[in-house]
Amino acid sequence: MRTFLKGASSAILATAAAVTAVVSVSSIGQAAEFDGVTIEAKLIGGQQYEALYARIPEWEAATGAKVNIISKKNHFELDKEFKSDIAAGTTDWCVGSNHSSFASQYSALYTDLGDLVSKDTVAEFVQANIKAATFDGKLVMLPRAQFDVSALYYQKDLYEDAEKAAAFEDKYGYPLAVPETWAQVKDQAIFFADPPNFYGTQYAGKDEAIVGRYYEMVVAEGGKLFNDDFSPAFNSEEGKRALQWFVDLYDAGAVPAGTTNYLWDDLGNGFASGTIGLNLDWPGWAGFFNDPSASKVAGNVGVAPAPKGSAGVRTGWSGFHGFSVTEDCENKEAAASLVEFLTNEDSQKLESAAGPLPSRTAVWDYVSEQAKGDPYRSEVLAAFKETAATAFAVPPTPLWIETTNIIYPELQAAILGDKTVDEALADAQESVDELMQEEGVY
Amino acid sequence: MKRLKLPPWLVLLLPAIIILSAVVLIPLVFSLYSSFTSYRLTRPDSIFNWVGLFNYEKAVTDVKFWAAFGRTVLLLAVALNLEMLLGLGLALMVSKVTSGQRLLRTMMMFPMMFSPILVGFQFKFIFNDNVGLVNNALQSLGITDQAIPWLVDGNLAMFSIIFAEVWTATSVFGILILAGLYAIPRDPLEAAKVDGCTSLQSFRYVTLPFLMPFIYIAMAIRSLDVARAYDIVQIMTNGGPARRTELLWTLIGRTGYVDARMGYANAMGYISIFLAIFFTVYFFKKLTQSRRELGMGA
Amino acid sequence: MATNMNHRIRRHSLKGLHFFGLFSAMMVLCVPGLWIVLNSFRPTVEIMAKPPVWIPNELNLDHYRAMFGGIGEGGVPVLTYFTNSLIISVTSTVIAILIGMAGGYAFARYKFKFKGGVFVALMVTRAVPGVALSLPLFIIFARVGIIDTHLGMVMAYVALNVPFTIWLIDGFFRQVPPELAEAAEIDGCTRWQAFWRVEFPVARSGIASAGIFAFLTSWNEYALASQLTRSTTSKTMPVGLLDFTSEFTLNWGGMCALAVLMIIPALILTFLVQKHLIAGLTFGGVKG
Repeated sequence: MRTFLKGASSAILATAAAVTAVVSVSSIGQAAEFDGVTIEAKLIGGQQYEALYARIPEWEAATGAKVNIISKKNHFELDKEFKSDIAAGTTDWCVGSNHSSFASQYSALYTDLGDLVSKDTVAEFVQANIKAATFDGKLVMLPRAQFDVSALYYQKDLYEDAEKAAAFEDKYGYPLAVPETWAQVKDQAIFFADPPNFYGTQYAGKDEAIVGRYYEMVVAEGGKLFNDDFSPAFNSEEGKRALQWFVDLYDAGAVPAGTTNYLWDDLGNGFASGTIGLNLDWPGWAGFFNDPSASKVAGNVGVAPAPKGSAGVRTGWSGFHGFSVTEDCENKEAAASLVEFLTNEDSQKLESAAGPLPSRTAVWDYVSEQAKGDPYRSEVLAAFKETAATAFAVPPTPLWIETTNIIYPELQAAILGDKTVDEALADAQESVDELMQEEGVY
Repeated sequence: MKRLKLPPWLVLLLPAIIILSAVVLIPLVFSLYSSFTSYRLTRPDSIFNWVGLFNYEKAVTDVKFWAAFGRTVLLLAVALNLEMLLGLGLALMVSKVTSGQRLLRTMMMFPMMFSPILVGFQFKFIFNDNVGLVNNALQSLGITDQAIPWLVDGNLAMFSIIFAEVWTATSVFGILILAGLYAIPRDPLEAAKVDGCTSLQSFRYVTLPFLMPFIYIAMAIRSLDVARAYDIVQIMTNGGPARRTELLWTLIGRTGYVDARMGYANAMGYISIFLAIFFTVYFFKKLTQSRRELGMGA
Repeated sequence: MATNMNHRIRRHSLKGLHFFGLFSAMMVLCVPGLWIVLNSFRPTVEIMAKPPVWIPNELNLDHYRAMFGGIGEGGVPVLTYFTNSLIISVTSTVIAILIGMAGGYAFARYKFKFKGGVFVALMVTRAVPGVALSLPLFIIFARVGIIDTHLGMVMAYVALNVPFTIWLIDGFFRQVPPELAEAAEIDGCTRWQAFWRVEFPVARSGIASAGIFAFLTSWNEYALASQLTRSTTSKTMPVGLLDFTSEFTLNWGGMCALAVLMIIPALILTFLVQKHLIAGLTFGGVKG
């Protein structure tokens, strides 16, 4: 136990100590439940995710089972590996990291946790998350404390300059304040922009990322991406308005010229470099942005809930990580016990102490309580909690990722001016329709 | 009946044939088969769903596929020629230096130490429009006050990719051509000088023909290897934005692994394999030919 | 007199031009790489700074320290990756050289039907793009059960390197007149002894240059490795680079630190054998 404590970073020290104490007490009752069982696991790697795995020895000690981590990769590599595994039939390992946006693709791979985990346990999670983890009535994963929804980070001093505020009000006819709607974000971004030294905002420009951003904007404009039968529905007035927002910002030079090649890491590093005014981004960056050794805007970061679209709806594309148990696992009970352990209250407390958002109701309260003395952390939590309240998951179709690969080049074409908004959406609509029909969706 | 005895050349070649069959040939047969099915990674049963030539038809009638195909040929042609010319220049300059050759040659080979995936990340950051090295330098030197979107602009994005590819591979040409320069016999050069040739003439008529086999070897090696550029392109732009840098390999990689449509990806893969084979055989022919001209044919 | 002067000026300006050309070429080749080395010593806030920080305010070993640190604090099992890379690259290079020597000898010394065709067919296997090969290879390796093992990786890399090795070494054996070996045989050597005493020494630098190419290819390969490795039992350093990325973040400074550890051994090796490399390529090229 001492070595474990030594290894943990100071940020999670306090929680870890509390957690270990609790576990060592409760484990005495159920000693050696799974003696001799070995659970093979494929877990997501990366700094943010790995602190949790240091708890695994506790579960091993409590149950007598052994955990063998046979693969540890980043998210996209892991996705590739799961697909290869399904193809090769090498799916007799037991526990895998999963993600709500990708889970629908692995329908054959994972078993229904509804049969293995008690209803009471499931009820302790945030129900919206449980819903997003359920496909065709099958609960395929239990969420860990890695819930993701984006809120608006901004540089505080932009709103503290009286001269700027007056100039803004003069031009746009309303006072300069932290934006509450996406229309305001657009005005302000264009107003703040001073390329190439400073940009009003930025957005993810490729892969699933930009489609996700577009998707939430369509919803915020009152539209939807798909009809109920998964035929494309985005070539609508709402869909066009949503895309126009991206196009206008690009044309105005309010976003970096390279934004269509940006993914999350570029966005985060960009905001941390102090050259971006407003930045819709994930909770995982909160600590990084306010860390003076990593970010130039440390101490100057404000966080507000995600703005609303013209329909009065907040953007709130969300997802979360979790753990699943395979259908081919030999000892599903043991595997489910490990999954439960990794997502239990103590685990979530440990993980969320370092910044990520929990997916258990009780832990949300606990985290807010813990943040009381820390104004920045409180602000972050409040903003994300507000946004999470109306968050929504990706459309539950196994073709989601493939659809995004069809849509994103068209969105880029519109943003870069290769096509008009109408043309781009019409082309995307046609290709998605073709795909859905080819796959026999309708 | 005599006991079957393999000829010695076959015995010697057997290890190579075995390992290449196991690692390349058998997988290729498998992927050839799967290219006639609607094989989807996430639905293993679909491997038995024979669809005939559907995937091939789909590929050859798809404008996006041919655009990627054309772009790949363009990239290969431009990059290989550029690498050759730059490699030649580099080798000529290095060969003229009298001291410190060992250090110079190691420096010249420096880019070969970089894994293609690392090169991808490296140039993604170097060409970043906002905080990238190139734009920072240009702006600090006062050459431009714009943020040049290296990885986004239609022409610049291809340029950036080709730059990264040329950066990694020029060394290979350089080192091979340098070897060629060292191997040139002195006599013909001396003779040319006596006959009153200018240095340009003796380069054109003596040095260059002698170097040609080396150049074609380098070309052949590189055309075998150039698909490694996939790692670079995937990290730098992944074919985007708006398909402006889409190459066959990025298209295949995405279709196969992200979309999980392996059958279709393999059909496209086969077409791209023929492209690679064409380039290789072409340079190989050229190589044999130029060797024959030098009177050194096999 | 005047022409002499002119000549001198021209020679000097040519010399200047040569120096300038060489210098700028070396700059272009080395700066992007040295930039990585520099970044590995700088805090992230400075690497990504805007306006740029040209003269580093602070150089430290933080990225290295973090890399060797514990899990969850930036630690990456570098030593394991390094060992894996070393074992896999060295083993596959040695095997590829042995197979290449046998194959090259066959092409250089024996006449058989379709020799040219067989040769090209062997070469062309190298032309198959990794991205088209990786999945079928994975499925077959998975069935055999050699996924995530050194053995699987070594096999893949041997196959990757054999064609080029055969090609280079073939050129060398042609250098040695067959009469030499025959004479040795007459003197009472077996064919095997004749090979090691007469032919092998001549081909040595060719083998060295084939070796360095094979080693660098294996050391840096990513596409196949990312598919055939899974955990620390076999992950190589290029795959390890991806440990610095997660869903939303990318630790560029840390990645640079690992990259430096990857580059150093390759650089040392190249420096040591590059004399052989040049000599090796010289003969291999001309005589086909």
